Amino acid sequence: MSVHTSSGTESDTEVVVIGGGSTGCGIARDLAMRGVEVTLVEKGNLTHGTTGRMHGLLHSGARYAVSDQESARECITETRVLEDIASHCVEETGGLFVQLEEDDDAYYEEKLQGCRDCDIPAEELTAEQAREVEPYLTNEAQRAIRVPDGAIDPFRLCVANAADTERHGGRIETHAPVTDLLVEDGEVVGVEIQHESGPGKRVHGKEGETEEIRAEYVVNATGAWAGRIGEMAGLDIEVRPSKGVMVVMNVRQVDTVINRCKPKGDADIVVPHETTCILGTTDEEVSDPEEYPEEQWEVDLMIDELSKLVPLLEDARTIRSYWGVRPLYEPPDTGTTDPTDISRQFFLLDHADRDGVAGMTSIVGGKLTTYRLMAEEISNHVCEQLGVEGECTTAEEPLPGSEDFSVLRDYMEEFGLRSPIGKRSVQRLGSKAEEVLKTGERNPVVCTCEAVTSAELRDAISHAGTDLNATRIRTRASMGNCQGGFCCHRMAAELSPAYDERVVRDSLDELYQERFKGQRHALWGEQLSQAMLNHALHATTMNRDRDPARKEEPGIEYGAFDAGPSPGVSGDGSTRATADGGVRSDGGTPDSGAGRSGKSAKKREGEHGDQ
Amino acid sequence: MSTPESDPTPEEHESETDFDPAGVFEDPTEMDLRPGADSCYKCSTCDTSCPVAEVDDDFPGPKFQGPEQWRLKQGDDQDIDPSITDCSNCMRCDNACPSSVPLSQMHNTARGEYVEGQAPSLWNAEDSLAEGEYREALTYLRDVPSEVSIEFLRNRVLSNYGTLAGLGSKVPRLANLVMGNRITSWANDRFFGIPSERDFPEFADRTFREWWRERGGPKVEREDKRVAYFHGDYSNYNTPEVAKAMVRVYEHFGYEIRVPTQRCSGTPMFANGMLRDARRAAAVNITNLSEFVDRGYDVIASCTSCSMALRQEYPELFDFEGTREVSIHTYEALEYLRIHEDLEEELGESKADFPDLAYHAPCHARNQGLDRQAIELFGELDSVAVEDVGDSCSGISGTYGWKSEKYEKSMEIGGEMFEHMKDAQGETGLTECPTCAMQMGHGTGYDIRHPLEVLEAALVD
Ligand SMILES: Cc1cc2nc3c(=O)[nH]c(=O)nc-3n(C[C@H](O)[C@H](O)[C@H](O)COP(=O)(O)OP(=O)(O)OC[C@H]3O[C@@H](n4cnc5c(N)ncnc54)[C@H](O)[C@@H]3O)c2cc1C
Ligand code: SF4
Ligand code: SF4
Repeated sequence: MSVHTSSGTESDTEVVVIGGGSTGCGIARDLAMRGVEVTLVEKGNLTHGTTGRMHGLLHSGARYAVSDQESARECITETRVLEDIASHCVEETGGLFVQLEEDDDAYYEEKLQGCRDCDIPAEELTAEQAREVEPYLTNEAQRAIRVPDGAIDPFRLCVANAADTERHGGRIETHAPVTDLLVEDGEVVGVEIQHESGPGKRVHGKEGETEEIRAEYVVNATGAWAGRIGEMAGLDIEVRPSKGVMVVMNVRQVDTVINRCKPKGDADIVVPHETTCILGTTDEEVSDPEEYPEEQWEVDLMIDELSKLVPLLEDARTIRSYWGVRPLYEPPDTGTTDPTDISRQFFLLDHADRDGVAGMTSIVGGKLTTYRLMAEEISNHVCEQLGVEGECTTAEEPLPGSEDFSVLRDYMEEFGLRSPIGKRSVQRLGSKAEEVLKTGERNPVVCTCEAVTSAELRDAISHAGTDLNATRIRTRASMGNCQGGFCCHRMAAELSPAYDERVVRDSLDELYQERFKGQRHALWGEQLSQAMLNHALHATTMNRDRDPARKEEPGIEYGAFDAGPSPGVSGDGSTRATADGGVRSDGGTPDSGAGRSGKSAKKREGEHGDQ
Repeated sequence: MSTPESDPTPEEHESETDFDPAGVFEDPTEMDLRPGADSCYKCSTCDTSCPVAEVDDDFPGPKFQGPEQWRLKQGDDQDIDPSITDCSNCMRCDNACPSSVPLSQMHNTARGEYVEGQAPSLWNAEDSLAEGEYREALTYLRDVPSEVSIEFLRNRVLSNYGTLAGLGSKVPRLANLVMGNRITSWANDRFFGIPSERDFPEFADRTFREWWRERGGPKVEREDKRVAYFHGDYSNYNTPEVAKAMVRVYEHFGYEIRVPTQRCSGTPMFANGMLRDARRAAAVNITNLSEFVDRGYDVIASCTSCSMALRQEYPELFDFEGTREVSIHTYEALEYLRIHEDLEEELGESKADFPDLAYHAPCHARNQGLDRQAIELFGELDSVAVEDVGDSCSGISGTYGWKSEKYEKSMEIGGEMFEHMKDAQGETGLTECPTCAMQMGHGTGYDIRHPLEVLEAALVD
C-alpha cells in the first residue's frame, strides 16, 4: 500500500530487507516463500556490492578443509544444494589442488585428510593425470587432489532469487538507497529511501523521489556497508572490510578450478567463469568499502604468481580487473591483526539483544556459497520475531530458470541459432530458454563475443528498464573481449522505440563508461589494441571524441592532463568502486596505469611490428 | 601462427611463439585453440575478405568460425557449428587478419572435430575393417543414417583423390571413358553429390613417376644444388607435363632432383575435415622428406597448395619429428628459382613462342606472398603478354566446387575471375594451382598452363 504525501510516498510492508547482494536476495526469497510480505531495497542494481565483485567459486569446502572445518562442511552441503536448485547459475567444473615442488608435503596430506574428514570427495591424481585433465597445467606440478569445486554466476543467482521473490508477491526496488532508518521509541520501524528515478524499473532521466517504508521488521544485509546503516540508528557494527583483486582473462585457459595447494596466500586460484578465467586474489584490510586504492602491482602479482600454475597465463590477454571488499566481521575484543585470520563464518546480530534497539537484525560475514543457508537462518529468526510459522523450502524449490531443462538440443531447429550461440544462450537462460528465444521473430546476435541475441536482451530489458548494466549482468552482453566496443550501442538500440533518444544515449554512455573503467588495469598488449580500436570506432562513428573545449559543463581540468600524476601518490588513483558504473561523483582522475609497461613494449615489438 | 618467411633460420622460427598446441595435444581433433582467440580484436577484416561469405548469406564468416566459436567452447563440448563445412579453406582470412589470429588452424581443427563428431561410427567401422573385425564394422555402420554416410563418403573420396586417381591411372582410357560418361555424371550428381556440370580431369596415359622411372631418375648429380621434388597427386596423375617442365627447368640450372616417395599433401583432407587421413599422409611425407632435408636438400613443390600444406598446415596441426625442419626448407618451385638464380636476365634474352596469358594468383599462393611472382617475372618476357586478372578467388578451392550443393556458389565466386579473364588479351590461362586451373578452364573454356611450362618454353630448348 502506498500513499502520496507532499514530501514523497509512504508505504508499509512486513519486512524490509536492505541490500541486494546474495544475502539480501536470498533472505527476501526465503521470506516471500514463507508467505511474509517483503520489500527489498538496494542502492545500485542487484549485485552492486561485493556480490558483483567476487571470484565466482562455488566452494566444495576444500579450501577450508584444514583451517575451518565447520565452514568446509557447510560448503559441501550447500554446493550440492545449489547444483540442484540453481543449476543454470552453476557450472560443475570440478577443481584441483595442485602441489608444486616448493609446496609442503605435510600440508598436502593435511588437505587430503581434511577433505575426507568433512565428507568432501577427494581423489588423488598423479602429475600426468592432472595434466590430462588440464593440458595447460604446468609440468612442474607434483600431484593434485581433485575435488568438486564449481563455478557460480553471482549475477544470475541474485536475479533469479529476486525474480522468485516477486513471483511470491515481494517487491524489489533497485537504485533506491536507504537514507535513514525510521526509529520510534528506541525501535526501528522502517526505512527512508531515495528513488533515483521513481519506484519500479529504472528509467534514465525520470525524476527521483523519497519514500518512507514502514515495516514490522528490518533486516540489514548490506555486507561491508552494514556499519553505515547501523549508524543511522546509533548502532556500532564493527565490519572490517578487506579488499581483494581479481583479474579477468580473455579465454578459458583451464576448464577446472585450479588451486595452489599451500596454506593461505595471495594469488592462489584460477576459476573458469563462463567464457573467461578469473585469477585471484588478495586479502588486505581497507578503511572504507568504497574508497580504496586499486593498484597495478596487485594485478601484476596475480599474473606472476598464477603463471607458476598455468604458464600460458604469463602472456595471455587480460580483459579487465576488479576489486571487491569482504564484509569480515569480528565480534568486539577479538583483536585479530591479519584479515586472513578472521573467520569466514557469518554473524547474526539481533540489535534488540545486543544493543537494546528492537526491530532490526544485521547479518555480516559469510560467503556466497552458503548464502542460502545464511538466508534460512536469518529467515527463521525473523519469522520467530514476527510469529510466522512458515517452513523453509529454499533447499528444495528450484530457482526460476533451474527447473528441469537440458542444454542438449538441436539449436538450429529449435531456435534458429548456430550451435555455440544456442548452447550458451540455453546455459544462461535455463528453463526460460523456450519462452525467451522462441519469439518467432528475427533474432540476430547482438553481442558476438558472448553470443547474446536480441531476444535475450529484450527479455532482460523488460526487467531492467533502461539500466543497461543491469541488462549486462543478466545476459553477459558486452562482457567479452571487445568489452562493449562493438555491441554497447547495439544493446542501447534495443531500448528503442520504447524509450526516446535522450534516454537511450544516457544509458549507452553509462554502460560504455563502466566497461572502460574495468579495463584501465589491463591496458597493454592485445587489450590496448582493442581499446584503441574501440576508441577509434566510437570516435569516428558516434562522435565520442567530441571537442572537449566546446563542452559547456563541467569545464575541462587541463591540469589533470598536462601535469600527469602528482608525485608521491602514484598508483593511488582512488576511484569509486562500483560494479555498475553508477554516476561518478568524485571527479577523480583515472589511474596512470603505468604497470606492466615493460611487458607491453615487448609484446608490441613481437606482434605488431612498429605499428 | 607460423607462416614461414622465405628464408627463416631455424632459430628464428623456434622463438616465434611459445604457444605450440601441436606440442601439447596428441591428436589434432583434441587441440584446444581457445588461447588463439586472444589476438582477435574483432575488426572483421577477415569477414570482408572471405569469398564464401560474399556469396552465401547463411555463412557466418571466418570471425565467427575462428576466434568467436573457439572462445565460446567449454571443456570438451562438441558443439562445432555445421557451417564450418561451408568454409572452402581458401585461407584468405588467414592472410587478411592484421593480428595474426591462427584462423586456418582454427578452421582446420574445428572442421576435423566436427567431422569426427558427425561420423565417429564410420571411422570406427574403418578401424575395425583394418583390424579384420568385419562383424564389428557392420554394427558400427548400422547406426549411421544414409545421408550422413553418403556425404561423408563423397567427401572422403574427394579428399583422397590420389587413391581414386591411382586406380584410374592404371586403366586411364577406361577411366576417362567412364568418368566422362553422361550417365556416370548424372548418377554422381544424383547419388553422390558431385555436380554433373563438372568434367572429371583426364588421367594421363603415363604418370610422372612412371616417366621418371623410365627416364632413369636424375640426369644431374651435385652436392651443392639439390632439391627433393614434391609433385603432389595432380601433376603425377593428371598433368605430368607440369612435373616434367619442373624437371627440365631445374636441370637446366644444374640442380640435382630427387623424387621421394610421397602421398597427397593433405590439402583436400583438411578442407573436408578428414584429419585422420591427413595425419596418415603427413606422417609418410614428413618421414620421407625430412630424410632428404637432413641430407641438405630443399623441398620444392609445383603446386602452391602443396607447399602451403608443408609449410604452414603441418606445423600447425602435427608434431611428427622433422615437421618444423621440412616446413622451413620447403619452397614453391618458381619462388626457389627466383631466390637462387638470375631468371630475369635469361628471360630478357628469350624469344619464347607461347600464347598470351591471363594469370590468376591462387589464394594459397597469396598466403605465401607469391601472388605477384609470375607477373613480375614474366614481365621480362617480351614475346608473351601476361596479365593479372585480379585478386578475386577462383571459387573452386580444391574440393569445394566439386560438391553439388556448393557448385552454384563456387561459380558465383569465380564470376569475377571469369569476366576478367575474358577481358584480358590472352586466351590461355596461367596459374600455379591445379584446381584453380580446372575452374578457370571450366568457366572460360580456355586452355590453362603452369608458370613452369612457360619457363620451360623460354629457357629450355
Ligand atoms: C575478493 C572476494 C572474492 C570472493 N570470492 C568468493 C568466492 O569465490 N566464493 C564465495 O562463495 N564467496 C566469495 N566471496 C564472498 C562473497 O562475495 C560475499 O560473502 C557475498 O557476496 C556477500 O554478499 P552480501 O549480500 O552479504 O553483501 P553485498 O553483495 O555487498 O551486498 C550488500 C548490498 O547492500 C547494498 N547497500 C549498501 N548500502 C546500502 C544502502 N544504504 N541502501 C541500500 N542498499 C545498500 C550494496 O549496494 C550491496 O549491493 C568473495 C569476496 C571477496 C571480497
Ligand atoms: S578459409 Fe576462405 S572460405 Fe574459409 S572462412 Fe576463411 S576466407 Fe572464408
Ligand atoms: S581479421 Fe583477425 S583480428 Fe580482425 S576480426 Fe578477423 S580474426 Fe579478429
